[in-house]
Amino acid sequence: MASLTLKEITKGFGKVNALSSVDLHVADGEFCVLLGPSGCGKTTLLNIIAGLIPQDEGIVALDGKSVDRLSPRDRDVAMVFQSYALYPHMSVGQNLAFGLRMRGVPKPTIRERVLESANLLGIEDLLDRKPRELSGGQRQRVAMGRAIVRRPRLFLLDEPLSNLDARLRASVRLELKQLHRKIKSTIVYVTHDQVEAMTLGDKVVVMRNGRVHQIDKPETIYARPADTFVARFIGSPEMNLYQGGIFKKDGQYHFQSAGFSLDLGSLQPNVGEGEVEVGIRPEDIVIGESETALKGTVEMISNVGSEKYLHVGLGDVSITIRAPKEAIFQPGQIILLTIPPDRLHLFYKGLRI
Amino acid sequence: MSREQLEMIIIRLLRIMGLILFIIIVAFPFYWMIVSSFKSLSEILLNPANLGLDIRKIDFHAYYEVLFEHGFLRYISNSVYVSIVTVMLSVTLATVGGYAVTRLRFRGQKFMSYSILLIYMFPAIVLVIPLYVMFSRLGLRDSINLLILVYLAQTLPVALYMLRSYFQTLPPEMEQAGLIDGCSRLGVIWRIVIPLSAPALASVALYTFMIAWNEFLFAFMFLDTPEKFTLSRGVVQLAGSVHLSKQLVMAASVMVTVPILALFLFFERRLVQGLTAGAMKG
Amino acid sequence: MKRTSPAFLDREARLAFWMLFPTFTVVLAFVIFPVIWNLWLSLKPVSLGDLRGASLFKLNLTLANFHKIFSDPGFGSVLVTTFVYTIAGSFLSILMGLAAALLVHGEFPGRSLLRGLFISPYIAPVVAVTFTWSFILDPQLGVLNWLGVSKGFFAQPIPFFSQRWWDLELLGIRIRLPLALTSVILFEGWRYFPFAFLFILARLQAIPNELYQAASVDGASPFQRFYHVTMTQLSPVLSTLFLFRFIWTFNKFDDIFLLTRGQAGTKVMTITVYDYAFGEFNIGASSAVAMLLFGMLSIFLVIYFHWILKEGS
Repeated sequence: MASLTLKEITKGFGKVNALSSVDLHVADGEFCVLLGPSGCGKTTLLNIIAGLIPQDEGIVALDGKSVDRLSPRDRDVAMVFQSYALYPHMSVGQNLAFGLRMRGVPKPTIRERVLESANLLGIEDLLDRKPRELSGGQRQRVAMGRAIVRRPRLFLLDEPLSNLDARLRASVRLELKQLHRKIKSTIVYVTHDQVEAMTLGDKVVVMRNGRVHQIDKPETIYARPADTFVARFIGSPEMNLYQGGIFKKDGQYHFQSAGFSLDLGSLQPNVGEGEVEVGIRPEDIVIGESETALKGTVEMISNVGSEKYLHVGLGDVSITIRAPKEAIFQPGQIILLTIPPDRLHLFYKGLRI
Repeated sequence: MSREQLEMIIIRLLRIMGLILFIIIVAFPFYWMIVSSFKSLSEILLNPANLGLDIRKIDFHAYYEVLFEHGFLRYISNSVYVSIVTVMLSVTLATVGGYAVTRLRFRGQKFMSYSILLIYMFPAIVLVIPLYVMFSRLGLRDSINLLILVYLAQTLPVALYMLRSYFQTLPPEMEQAGLIDGCSRLGVIWRIVIPLSAPALASVALYTFMIAWNEFLFAFMFLDTPEKFTLSRGVVQLAGSVHLSKQLVMAASVMVTVPILALFLFFERRLVQGLTAGAMKG
Repeated sequence: MKRTSPAFLDREARLAFWMLFPTFTVVLAFVIFPVIWNLWLSLKPVSLGDLRGASLFKLNLTLANFHKIFSDPGFGSVLVTTFVYTIAGSFLSILMGLAAALLVHGEFPGRSLLRGLFISPYIAPVVAVTFTWSFILDPQLGVLNWLGVSKGFFAQPIPFFSQRWWDLELLGIRIRLPLALTSVILFEGWRYFPFAFLFILARLQAIPNELYQAASVDGASPFQRFYHVTMTQLSPVLSTLFLFRFIWTFNKFDDIFLLTRGQAGTKVMTITVYDYAFGEFNIGASSAVAMLLFGMLSIFLVIYFHWILKEGS
């Protein structure tokens, strides 16, 4: 296994900038997730790491040594494609063995490794079948097997779970995590699904339009999003965000928006007075009486089963609040809610302050 | 009866009549070609209007004569040689060329893409005289292998275009997977692209064979010695040397026609795809 | 800041070069070069006897060849004949192709066999079909003439491919039919209708059934449905086909050469290329006609591409 370092990777297609100066370091054995909406450049980045397309600027290095001059074959990376890209005219066994055959590995070793990987993934009974005879889940495992069997320095996975149905996705996700623990491989995993990113990654890279917005542990990204994009992208339901202004009153900072005003308590925003955005997650809002309680009207209730989400009108804006599943509310009901200042996220010009 | 029903009946009648008419028009020359080839000279001269064929009077003599007394055995082998070699070279070059234009990035890739078909539009008659002059000057004219090269120049543009169109429909991820797994580009073509392109390759092979087998103009212009004649050239030679023995010319025509028609009917679906996939020379 | 090494792109470019090199060379030598060579020859006074001489490369360029071909007495009629042949032949082949496609369209047993049969005239070798047609229409030995005469349709055998004019009376009107030219045009329709047939059939089968159903519901009768749905869907294909066939028929040599050698009023421009070279031994004039042909082809192609771009947007 190897470490991966990307320095200032830039790539453009015609007039479009697919990637702008991406810096990233993945340590040996680390599971790194590239997270972002479609079109953010994550697949392009993966292709550049694999050597399938060249970057316009920047360096790709494995274990500290640049691999830019090496062809995909020589970089010793394995890739699992979103569409699996299995060779349709070969059997599962042949698909698995292909990479080893190309490298001149002796036949008995090939057989051994193929069986080993097949057992690891539970596909040892499928070795003689052709890809078209397999279900989606089985094909996915074969694609993974093809990568594992080669024991590469680096694994690249491009949205490997997106073609599976929801139930299967959850179980395969779990297996992936266990696999990673077992093999201790260096993985770069691309997805647009934040649940996958948060559960699988040791480190998450949030990207949009070719730019990196934040690189951090999943918990950190959730607790301290670096800008409003990350704040909105991570967390379901979305964080409540409001634009407004900060002003000082009696030595305390206050926040005023179209719907409500907040006493910021001990918070000392260092922009002084000005226009900011303020965010609060649905689960951080407290329902009930308090000194600084705000009054709102319940507009709609979403019952997810395990909990409820209340969509409450607060002045001119809406706020989403998480409520326990036993709680009973009616549309039109007036409720009291408190926004604790220490759970607030403040953003100035989009960035966290 | 409603207008709908009346018109439907008219249409049905027209259709049946039309089909019969078309079948006769299309099939009759072929029928006549085959039937005449089994007649004797006297039959041709005395009974020209005999539409049928007396089973007892079937005469294979025309075929015998054409094959052994007019050198058609040789012509057949020449045509087979020229056609097969042209097909092999054409398919090979069009495969790698088509792949390069589809998948590889290089300066002039777009230009090549657009100009392929343009080359195809150059009419043979414009090429014939200069080629004739060039080859005469170099003393190379009477050569079958040169003919093969000329045929290549005729078939490669469309073969390349057809294969390029097909390659564009193959998902590139499979080839990328092959590259990552350790294949070279040529390895990817050989192990992954070609096995998956069988129908397209068959179409190209058939189309190329048809062009090479049927070709007349260049064979007529460039081949001088009878030993080197292809079938098309040979038939013209024969027709010029006999005036009354039409059964010989018909037998020769049958011999040229049957292989290509048989191949075509055998691979009908594939060839039709090939014919409509690329623009065809008239 | 380090720029990406060009080694990556170099590698691909080099590979692409070798993969395209043989094709490129062959096409350059046997297509591009001859055309340029043709231009050269058309501007020199070259005869068949000069071919081995050194005068071939002398820089004695002249427009005499072009002057000659334009001022030769037959030039006007050759031009007219070429256009008549091309337009009528293309039109006929497309008309027949349309008819055949309409007849074959739909599900019925033996359909693919029929389709196979209908494509035969196009697939069969040109020498075979031309000699067969010549034989069938032969004045002395041909079955058509024998049957025609014996059943009383013709007074005497008609030399379809060797007689220039045929005076006949149709419904009291005297018509002077260009016989050989008409026969050749009919052959052209027979031989090339499969091309139109295939394309039209493919397009026919792609017309969604819902269009017909909608028209039916709207009250259109079968013939009306044909006109408003079928024909409107087909007209783009028909125009494209006409353009293609026009260009290719314009450049056709084999068919007329084998049927009539260009006699009896069937001399088209491609035949004159051959006649100048091997009839009058004048290579220069032959190349000049070929250049004229090429020039006209280029104009047609420009028109075609402009038309395509217009349609495409």
